[in-house]
Amino acid sequence: MENCDVTIVGGGSAGLAALKHLSSLGKQAILLEAGKEIGSKNVSGGILYSKKSNNGKIYNVEDIYGESFLTEYPYERKITKYILNATSKDKVFSIDLTESHNYQTNFGYSVLLNKLNSWFAQEAQNAAERLGGGIITGVHVRALKWEEKRSKIIVQTDELEEFETKVVIAADGVNSEIAEMANAREKFSPSELYQGVKVLVKLPEKIIEERFEINNSEEGAAHLFAGDVSLNLIGGGFLYTNRDSLSIGGVYHYDSLLENPIEPAEIVNSMLKNPLISELIKDEVPIKEIDKTLSKEQQVRKSFAITKLLNNWNELRQLYYSHKLKEKSIADRKYSSEDEIKSKLDNLTKRLTDEYNIKFKTNYIELEYTTKLVPDGKRGRMKKPYHKNILFIGDAAGRGLFFGPRIEGLNVGMDDAARASIAVARSLDKNNFDSDYLGEFYTRLVEESPYTVDMKEIDKQYLNVILNSTRKRIPSNVLGLKHKLLFNLVSNDGLRNFFITMINKYGYTRLLSFIESEDVYFKVPIKIADKLGTLNTASYIPQIPTIQDRVAKLCYHEDNISHIKILDSSKNFLRKMVVLCPTKCYSLEGDEVILQHEGCIECGTCSKETEWRHPRGEKGVIFKYG
Amino acid sequence: MIMITMNKIENNHSTNNDSYRHLFVIIESINNELIPASLEMLGEARRQMDHFNLKYKSNEKVIAIHLGHGIKDLSKDLISYGADAVIYADDPHLKYPINKIYTKIISQIVTDPHSLKEISPEYVSIFKKPRYMFFLADSIGRHLSSTVLAELDSGLASDINKLVISDLDIKHQHKTKGETIHYQKVLEMYRPDFSGFLWTTILCLDNKNPEIAKEFHPQACSIIPGAFQPCVQDTKRTGIISQFSPQFDEQDLKIKVVKQELVKNPVQFENYKIIVSFGRGIKEDPEANIKLVEKLAKILDAEIGISLPISKKIFHLNEKYDSIYITPNRVVGTSGRKVTPVIYIAVGISGAIQHLDGMKDSDFIIAINPDENSPIKDVCDVFIKGRMEDVIPVIIDELSKRSGQLKEKEIQVNTYGKL
Amino acid sequence: MTLNIAVLVKLEPDFSEGSVSYNPDGTLNRAETKSKLGAHSAIASLAAFYTKVKYGGYISVSSMGPPMAEIALQEAQSICDADELHLYSDRLFASADTLATAEVLQQGIRKMNNGKEMDIVFSGHRASDGETGQTGPQTAWKLGFTFLGNVIDFSVDLNKRFILAKRLVALPGFYDIVEEIQAPLPVFIAIDPLYKPIFDTISLRLTSSRYLKEAKERAANYKTYLKVLDHKKLELDPRFVGLPGSPTIVHKVEKIPKARTTRTAELIEGYDREGIKNTITKILQLVQK
Repeated sequence: MENCDVTIVGGGSAGLAALKHLSSLGKQAILLEAGKEIGSKNVSGGILYSKKSNNGKIYNVEDIYGESFLTEYPYERKITKYILNATSKDKVFSIDLTESHNYQTNFGYSVLLNKLNSWFAQEAQNAAERLGGGIITGVHVRALKWEEKRSKIIVQTDELEEFETKVVIAADGVNSEIAEMANAREKFSPSELYQGVKVLVKLPEKIIEERFEINNSEEGAAHLFAGDVSLNLIGGGFLYTNRDSLSIGGVYHYDSLLENPIEPAEIVNSMLKNPLISELIKDEVPIKEIDKTLSKEQQVRKSFAITKLLNNWNELRQLYYSHKLKEKSIADRKYSSEDEIKSKLDNLTKRLTDEYNIKFKTNYIELEYTTKLVPDGKRGRMKKPYHKNILFIGDAAGRGLFFGPRIEGLNVGMDDAARASIAVARSLDKNNFDSDYLGEFYTRLVEESPYTVDMKEIDKQYLNVILNSTRKRIPSNVLGLKHKLLFNLVSNDGLRNFFITMINKYGYTRLLSFIESEDVYFKVPIKIADKLGTLNTASYIPQIPTIQDRVAKLCYHEDNISHIKILDSSKNFLRKMVVLCPTKCYSLEGDEVILQHEGCIECGTCSKETEWRHPRGEKGVIFKYG
Repeated sequence: MIMITMNKIENNHSTNNDSYRHLFVIIESINNELIPASLEMLGEARRQMDHFNLKYKSNEKVIAIHLGHGIKDLSKDLISYGADAVIYADDPHLKYPINKIYTKIISQIVTDPHSLKEISPEYVSIFKKPRYMFFLADSIGRHLSSTVLAELDSGLASDINKLVISDLDIKHQHKTKGETIHYQKVLEMYRPDFSGFLWTTILCLDNKNPEIAKEFHPQACSIIPGAFQPCVQDTKRTGIISQFSPQFDEQDLKIKVVKQELVKNPVQFENYKIIVSFGRGIKEDPEANIKLVEKLAKILDAEIGISLPISKKIFHLNEKYDSIYITPNRVVGTSGRKVTPVIYIAVGISGAIQHLDGMKDSDFIIAINPDENSPIKDVCDVFIKGRMEDVIPVIIDELSKRSGQLKEKEIQVNTYGKL
Repeated sequence: MTLNIAVLVKLEPDFSEGSVSYNPDGTLNRAETKSKLGAHSAIASLAAFYTKVKYGGYISVSSMGPPMAEIALQEAQSICDADELHLYSDRLFASADTLATAEVLQQGIRKMNNGKEMDIVFSGHRASDGETGQTGPQTAWKLGFTFLGNVIDFSVDLNKRFILAKRLVALPGFYDIVEEIQAPLPVFIAIDPLYKPIFDTISLRLTSSRYLKEAKERAANYKTYLKVLDHKKLELDPRFVGLPGSPTIVHKVEKIPKARTTRTAELIEGYDREGIKNTITKILQLVQK
């Protein structure tokens, strides 16, 4: 049987960081990823942070990958503006939270996970290869078996011959199958999860900079939304600028969704329909229509010709509105000047209009629809993130960080990865994989992480920074009596510190439902927007694709065997899936809930009451952006 | 060593084609059972040579060549289906059609004048090579025809569905150095292109240009199974059956078939009463339209076929559809499969002749097509004029109202196993 | 020992939407249509790559075609990590039929890897534009190599210098046959479109990703690996290649005449629900018979 020292399961940001860090520590490791390519299964909001803390060391992306991360730009834009928007119908009131965003932060970059993780993978692969390790994609772990005597694990997959390993690092995400196989923890319950929904909207580089008033082509803005866009759910919306696209979506308490089931797509639709956002995303969109009176052959030929021209038009337009691409194309002598590009683009537009009857309409273009479950570290993190010689990191260990406008996951997973790598390297050196030596040591390292501290206690200073920003902008008299009292209470430094100390002592998690309440998430924001907000109007009505259209746009490598099995089709939970499944895989047939797995995007929303596995290697959805 | 000398230019071309005689047909059988298309090919050979002998007042033969083990008894069948003579080689080493061995034995037979001792003694002294040769365009014959003709150093056309023997005046830059030269007894070989609307005629001609003079015989082709009709069997027909004793190269006998398994094609048109085929009409939204066809087929318990152009992967489809549907074994037509279901539904297929040949014998034919002038209209019983996007949902709707009358069946997809 | 592997590839028109162009008369507009490595050539390259990963080897890829055919070689290199690329390009080779093409290819194969004899030559099943499927076997014959067509899987015994191949023999209207055949090297393999390489151990996977990375780097600098050979460099007699060396010519191209009208169709308009209902009744009657 073949063997290797360390097996990392899951090629997301956390797993890749583990591979890179272990390699940096001189240890051989292989990483198994179920997707056909790295990044094809990964979804994020997403902003990747680099943080600093008074509470101890944090292993940041640049610690793990070195400075090349900063010079090779695998990310989108550096977030230098952080705005909270309270919404009520067509009114919006904005509060600048950039200061809180910068709190203990080295930087925050907007990212698209396919691109980011592909870069991480390349770096990790290069490092791992030198030690005889590397990344193996398209492989799904089916089972783990223990060789108790030799303290080894036999890894069985759907695609490869079984092999032996000394340690497993489980980085297989929020729906970790390794956790289930090893019986390391229960599946996360709805109260421990958030449901994230996102669409990626295409918009040319320079138009983004103009709309968001960004002066520097490297920089970008992030907007958060609270108020009526949240459709009376506990959660909020977000809009991040990427290089030439926008990430728009929402993150919601899953139990709030279960209580009040609503189609996840509606969450993102309510954002798109907000007039402020409608205006931010709009673009000129060509409409292709073919003369049906032509013969079939002619129609095919015409359609092919138009597709070809539109491809050229899209390419050229993207070039025209970009910085680097344009400079490069001129430097490469592909075009002599910006004017030439412009006149070529205009010509193409004219040809499309005159010869092919293409009309240009104001609308917006969606590139990809994604959803993801996110674990709430405050509630669901594994207190001992190991089982025998398996260590859990990132989402698999339930370590998402949510506090008010602070949403972090990628950086937490990477910090975990570094800690797990350190623990594993130590065990390999001493050839000791006992729980006391490996698992407990890793647990201690994770407990020392400032991120863990932030999952356990409210950071008074951080709260203060947020309150300072809001207090400046909101006169307390706009709030009702109840909220005014609360506001005054937390605004007083002495009182607030006293209360928070009490809360932290009493156990902050026990008070979460009070803090994360309807008041905070939509009642107060609506009130603020109503009273203080400015009016916005949209110049058009965005044509929002149906869920069928969105699913049709996704790429799948379909498996005729379903990776999900319904256990009891009469359960109430499953009935809710008819509404809550983000891609409508569930439907009612008479009294039975039936599942058609073909459109599944593997978010795990239904996993609690189903036999839920990831698809076999290479199968299932393929995200192009993530 | 450089192999330039492999081809010899024959400067002495006084033979005037006398040394090329007869039509040789390479018969295929598996486990001592004749492949039906072999008889189709034999039938066409019979018709061609009857015509040839009448026209040129000659007495050239249709000679069936048959290799195998324990196949002697099939020789009579070949005579009864139109062969004038059969030359067979029966040997354990010929049990399987191993390309290298078959190529050598066939080449031995067709270049050995003694093979003709009984069949046409008058030509034994001048015979060099066959005049014409027919092979089957299947997985065996396609390769065999290529290697045999490489060995005989002559020309070959593949996938033929029409043949004409005639005399032609040819003017060609290389063949005739721009002069017009009269060629006799030329085999015109018609090959449909993949669209099914164009025929390319291929000729195998001697180079009469003195600078590159060379004779190219036999004129050979591989024939699409299903393209021609066999003769009606006539057990009273008589002919000469002669055995050939093959000479094997020791080295070649190291090539061995270690296992042979008959498998069913994963697409079993024969098991379905209804076939729904789609063509380029899916273009507006290929994936959604294939889904529609899939749904219709599911309700009707039908197998799904495609037209030849679709098999060229002209649309970007997801991998599932691509691997299930856009495969050669689903192509209905002369260069695919010939089907005769109870009901054939052609969706968005305009009806190239090569497609029509593959389905026109179905009991009842329905076409769905927006273009009333499509050739398919001439072979169907019901022509529903409209776009598939509009028509199929109505059919599905109406069918589901009567769902009790049809049983649903999952579409099964099999693949061939690995080593 | 390692294997000397050759791959024959072809540049073909890309028939997919967005790439293909047609003339007003419906024929392919070759000038406007993009070209790429043929789909079957890509599978042949994949088979060569598998062989290199599993058994080790030196891969030479070749193509006969115009100078632009080098992009097919580049694409093939990115698939199989070729160590050498051959382009046989000469105006004299133009318009060759299969026999004259095979003449050029076999001579090229003899010049691969400094004249070492190849152990396995891979080619695609057939080309999508010409699609005779004859060139492969004819090249094999001229080389004196055993030809194995429709190969869906194979393994090599390096010590005994044997190959074991699984072939899918399709006989339309009859059976399909899956045959396992063993043959001494050298062999010429025409790979079947159903072939799929399987890398099923961690070491094969790691080796394959290492080679694949190398392949990408090499393909980015493919010109360093490229040798362009004309008839002189190939030492070929002009009389045996191109048109002069082709026994066959295309005599004419014509439209296939319409088939005779065999049935008279009842015409139903697509919006005529009653008409469709009647048709369905007819279908159900026929099926239940």
